Amino acid sequence: MLGAAKQRQEAHPPERADALADIVLLDHDGHDVRLGELWSERPVALVWLRHYG
Amino acid sequence: MNRDREQFEAAGLGLVLIGQATPRHAAHFRRKYELEMPVLADEKRESYKAAGAKIATMGELLGPKSVSKGIGHAVKSRGSVRQGRVIGHPAQLGGAMIVTPGGRVAWSHMADDASDNAATEELLEAARSA
Repeated sequence: MLGAAKQRQEAHPPERADALADIVLLDHDGHDVRLGELWSERPVALVWLRHYG
Repeated sequence: MNRDREQFEAAGLGLVLIGQATPRHAAHFRRKYELEMPVLADEKRESYKAAGAKIATMGELLGPKSVSKGIGHAVKSRGSVRQGRVIGHPAQLGGAMIVTPGGRVAWSHMADDASDNAATEELLEAARSA
């Protein structure tokens, strides 16, 4: 139901963001954003929302 | 959230939100809450997976802890922030991460259940020591 996991999972954040760096997402204006560009010059806080609501 | 952004900027930190839907949903979310920071759309949840975010069990979604915290948020915000229609994977949890130039993850807090969100103060403290 709701696509919920049957067994409890553990979050497993990486120590490095290499796997995130090359992911390209669209922003709210539909422009490509390569995630690695976000921290190329200064630290960035990335916040993953559960949902837009 | 915009006030938080100012604090992040003062701490020398960018702030970017990522949601699991389309750019149109992201734009609507941004307008609805009058957000100034970028909101990215990750319909395929690629970045969620790469960030190690978890899929919740039913207990982690709808357990007493999550429900009571949800009600608390609704009361605290006097109804201005309330659960809307869920778009995307309903059991996908989120989280937060600080990444420094060079790609090191200096701090992270990925949600353990639906009520588990990193506090702004916690993020700012981590940013200052990043």
